[in-house]
Amino acid sequence: MVATPGDASIVDRDVRLAVYRRFVEDARPPTPPEIAVELGVATLDVEASIRRLADGHVLVLAPGTPYVWMASPFSAIPTPFEVTVDERRYFANCIWDALGIPACLHTDAHIRTYCPDCSEPLSLDVREGELGSSAESVIHFAVPAAHWWDDIGST
Amino acid sequence: MLLFRSEEHVTRWAEERRTEVGATLTPQQGWKLATAWFEDRLSPDWRRRTPEEARTIFDGIGLTGPFWDPR
Repeated sequence: MVATPGDASIVDRDVRLAVYRRFVEDARPPTPPEIAVELGVATLDVEASIRRLADGHVLVLAPGTPYVWMASPFSAIPTPFEVTVDERRYFANCIWDALGIPACLHTDAHIRTYCPDCSEPLSLDVREGELGSSAESVIHFAVPAAHWWDDIGST
Repeated sequence: MLLFRSEEHVTRWAEERRTEVGATLTPQQGWKLATAWFEDRLSPDWRRRTPEEARTIFDGIGLTGPFWDPR
């Protein structure tokens, strides 16, 4: 359904879906004008929607801009969490998000990262909805759940 | 949220940064958390989890205690 001006909740839903659609297809978020063209609404309305979504912790924007930095689990910038799905390469915001990419796509994936202590390359594989049993590594959450959004870039 | 080779590497990393170790999960717990959290992310009807819903997901994976209290 294409959004019509004046219904913020529908616009926000369609903008959110447009952001995720582009992330899935091209491993990058769309710009506000690209979303505006796709949805047939004004760029200003798209930017207002993006800011509402950011205020609601649905998206994270590059500081001081209307450009999407994170649509969890996807990252618009390269990170140490590289997720390969078929021929596509995505970047995730953290190891939880890296696992979240095959989880939301319902697909197999190969995840590459490295140990922050010793820089040893580490990998995880998801196949047919299961995580490879050879994984012996440890996931560390540094920030308690109640404070994840205090500084989401650090979380 | 980072992936380390082992608990020993987490401890050393935290000591070097003079920070405290938070919570550690096995990759299998992480996968369960990821599937519960993200499986519906691309749905048109998706919305943010409420704190109660988040707590239910954490509890289901054995993630309990103050660290996992979303409030």
